[in-house]
Amino acid sequence: MSKKNALFVCVVLLVICVGSSAQVRTPDQMLINPDPKDWVTYGGTYSSHRYSPLKQVTTANAARLLARWVYHLDGMEELEPTPIVLNGVMYVSGFNRVDALDARTGNIIWKYQRQPPVATRQRGTAVYGDKVYLVTSDSHLVALDARTGGVRWDVKSEGGYTIAGGAPLVADGKIIVSGNRPNGFIQAFDAMTGKYAWTWSALPTPEDPAYATWGGATPAGAPIWVSGSFDPELNLIYYGTGQPNPQWTGSPRPGDNLYSDSIVAIDVKSGTLKWHFQNTPHDTHDWDSLETPVLVDATFRGQPRKLLLQANRNGFYYVLDRTSGEFLLGTPFVDQLDWATGLDKNGRPIVAPGHDPAVKGTKTCPSTMGATNWPPPTYSPDTRYLYVVVAEGCGVNVIMSSTVPDSGTGYYESPHAPWQAYVRAIDVLTGKRVWEYKAVRSNHYGPGLLSTAGGIVFAPEQFGQVSVLDAKTGQSLWHFNTGDVITAAPATYSVDGQQFFAIASGTNVFAFGLSDSR
Amino acid sequence: MRTGLFIALLLVVSSAGSLMGQRGAGAGPPNPFLGNAQAVSEGETLYNQKCTTCHGSGGGGGEIGPAIVSGDRLDIGVSDAQTFNIIKNGVAGTPMTAQRLPDSDIWKIVTYIHALRGTAIENPLPGDVAHGEAVFWGKGQCGNCHMVSGRGGLTAPDLSNIAGTRKSSSIVDALTKQQHRVYSSGGAHLRTLPAMDSYLPVYVTTADGKTIDGVLLNEDSYALQMIGNDQQLHLFDKSKLRKVAIEPRSLMPTDYDKRLTPDEFKDLMAFLTRQGRVAGPASGRRGAPPEGER
Repeated sequence: MSKKNALFVCVVLLVICVGSSAQVRTPDQMLINPDPKDWVTYGGTYSSHRYSPLKQVTTANAARLLARWVYHLDGMEELEPTPIVLNGVMYVSGFNRVDALDARTGNIIWKYQRQPPVATRQRGTAVYGDKVYLVTSDSHLVALDARTGGVRWDVKSEGGYTIAGGAPLVADGKIIVSGNRPNGFIQAFDAMTGKYAWTWSALPTPEDPAYATWGGATPAGAPIWVSGSFDPELNLIYYGTGQPNPQWTGSPRPGDNLYSDSIVAIDVKSGTLKWHFQNTPHDTHDWDSLETPVLVDATFRGQPRKLLLQANRNGFYYVLDRTSGEFLLGTPFVDQLDWATGLDKNGRPIVAPGHDPAVKGTKTCPSTMGATNWPPPTYSPDTRYLYVVVAEGCGVNVIMSSTVPDSGTGYYESPHAPWQAYVRAIDVLTGKRVWEYKAVRSNHYGPGLLSTAGGIVFAPEQFGQVSVLDAKTGQSLWHFNTGDVITAAPATYSVDGQQFFAIASGTNVFAFGLSDSR
Repeated sequence: MRTGLFIALLLVVSSAGSLMGQRGAGAGPPNPFLGNAQAVSEGETLYNQKCTTCHGSGGGGGEIGPAIVSGDRLDIGVSDAQTFNIIKNGVAGTPMTAQRLPDSDIWKIVTYIHALRGTAIENPLPGDVAHGEAVFWGKGQCGNCHMVSGRGGLTAPDLSNIAGTRKSSSIVDALTKQQHRVYSSGGAHLRTLPAMDSYLPVYVTTADGKTIDGVLLNEDSYALQMIGNDQQLHLFDKSKLRKVAIEPRSLMPTDYDKRLTPDEFKDLMAFLTRQGRVAGPASGRRGAPPEGER
C-alpha cells in the first residue's frame, strides 16, 4: 500500500470511528464535545468561543467566497438569532416560531408557528438530543421534535416570571431560560420532560446580606436577557445581569445594588449562586453586564487558571478566575472612557464624579449604548485574541425631572463624540489591543463575530456588509453587501464536506461558501 | 435594560409602556380640526394654560415632562388619535394624569401639537416669498450648492421638497445652528441602510494620481459614492483609491441670521418653508396592487 493509500484508509477509519462513536454519545456529550461540522449552541460551544475547527475556508481562499443561498423569514421585522446547525439542518428562530432549513440549500423542511405571530427580535434556539427548544412571547418553553417541528411538550414559566428573548441554554440535562420581569431571573427545567427544576432571582431576599446594598430600597431590576456559558467540569453556568431600577436615577437606591450589573456563577444542580462579580456598582447608565462571558483555560501570570473573559458595556475588559470569581485583570478596551479613572485591585471602578444623568444632560463615555453590547465576541485559541465589536463614542444622559424618580429618561449620541463601530482584537492575557478594523457607517453595536481554524474572523457589519478578516492582522479578505441592517450573530458549519457561514441580515438568512468547482 | 434603549429620547417615559405600545398604531378617530387655523390658535392658548408647566413652551420639554415635539426633522410617531388618548386618559405610572377637559378642547390642543410637529409646508413661516427667492439666488448664494426645481447646484441637498420633509423650526436651525444635524435619536437601531445626508466634503486620489474633490453621498467599508465639484456622480471601490479624505464638517454656513438682514432672513424662511408638497394619504395595504392594476 502506498503512503497515500495508507493515509486514505486511516482517514476513512477515523471518519468511521468518529462517526460511530458520535452515534452512541449521549445528548450531553454531543453538546460538551460537539462535532466540528455542527454549531450546536448559541455560543458555538459551551465556552462561548464562537470558534470553529473547520478550515476549508482560509486566509488564502476567503476571497472566493460566494453567497450560496438566502432564506426569507416572512412577517419578521428584524432578526437577531444565531442559527443552530445539527446534522445538516439549520434552526432559525423568532419569538413563537422556528424555521428548520436544509443547511446546504436553504430549503425549508418545517416551520413551527405558535400564535400569535410576533415580529420582534429574539436571539435563538437550543437543541438537545432530538429536541429543539423555543421560548415564546407568552413565557412558555416549548420542546419541538427536531425532525418535524411537532410539539413534544410545552410548559409555562414558573412563578409568573416573563421569559426574555435570549437563546435557551441546555446544561447538564436542564434547559435554562432567563428574563427581566418582574426582575432578573434564571430558571431551569428538565430538558427531557419540561419538569420545573429551580429559579435563581438576581435580586437578594431580605435574609441575604446583599439586601443591604440597596440602602433600604426594595431591590428592583437586574434583567437577564442574553444566554450564558457553561463549564461542565465545575457544573457552573455563567450569566450577566442587567441594570438596577430605577434605571437612571441612583439616589433612591444608595449602595451597590447587588446583583445588578454582575457576572454570576450558578450551580446547575441546585440553582444557587456560587460567586458573583459586579462590574458596575450603583449603575446610573444602564450598563448591563450581559455581554457574553467567554471561558478560556490558560496560564495566567505563571499559574494555570480557568479564566472567564468579558468585554463589558462599561468599557472595561475583565479577566476573572471562573472557579472563584477572583478578579485578575481589568483594562479599558475603548479610548473614550471617562466615567472611571481605573479599577482598584478588586476590580471595583474608581468612579470619576459628575457623570450622573441630569435634566440638562450629562455627557459620559462610553454611552449607554455601550462600549460593546450583547452581540457576542469570539475567541480564537490559535491567536489567543478575543475579537470584540466595539463602539467608540459618548452619550448624553438626560432625566426629565430631578425630583420625580424615574419620571422619564433618555440618552442620545454626543454631538462632540459621535459613535463609530470597530472590530478589535484584544490579547486576552494583557488586554492590549492588537489590531482594529473600522466598520464604516456602523455606529452602533451590530452583529456578533466568529473565528475559525482557517485563520479568519467572520465579521458582519451593522451597515449591511459581511466581511472576512485575517485573524492575525485584521486585514479584510472578502466582503458581501447583504443590503440590510445586521444585528445577529453568525454560525459556521459543514455539510457533505462543504463549509458554510450563515448570518441573518434584516429578515433574511444568508449562507456563504466556496463554489463547488473550487 | 435594553428595551429602554430603542426609544427616541423624546418618547422615553421609562414607565410608559402603554405609550410605547401605541406608537405606530394609527387607528382611532380622525382629528376633527385638522387644518383649522382657528383651532390651532385656540389650542395654543389651551396648551399654554394646561401643558407648558411640564412639557415646556412649544412642546420642547420641561422640568417634569418630556419634550413632545422634536427639535429636529425626525418626529415622534404618535398619531393625533394617540395624542388625544394620552391627554384624555393619562399615562399610567407617570405624572401625566388624565385631563378633565371637553373633548373638543382636547382636540384643539392636539391640533396645536400637530401643527408644532407638522412639516413646514403645513405651517409655512410668514414673509415676502418673492423677496426670499431673490435672496436665495442672490445675496444668500444658496443656489451655488443647492438645487430647487431643477435650478442650482448639486453639491448640497436638493431643496425642491424641503418644506414637505422638514419642520419650519428644523429649516431655521439648519441655517443658524452648527450642531442641529448631528443628533441621532438615542440608541435607535438603524432600520435601513440610508444614504448620508450630510454632504461632507471629500477629497479622493485615484490609483493613477487623479484628484477629485466633492461631497459624499454615501460610503461603507468598501465603496464610496460622491458628487464631484465637476457636478458629476463618481462611484469608487475604496480598494482602488490611493487616498480618501473626508472632512467631518459640513460646508453649510450656519450664520445666515447674521449674514442677512432680519428682513432678508425672514423672507428667505418664507420662501424655503413653501418649497414642497403636502404629503398625500398613505397608499394601500402592503401587497395590494396599485389602483388600475387589478
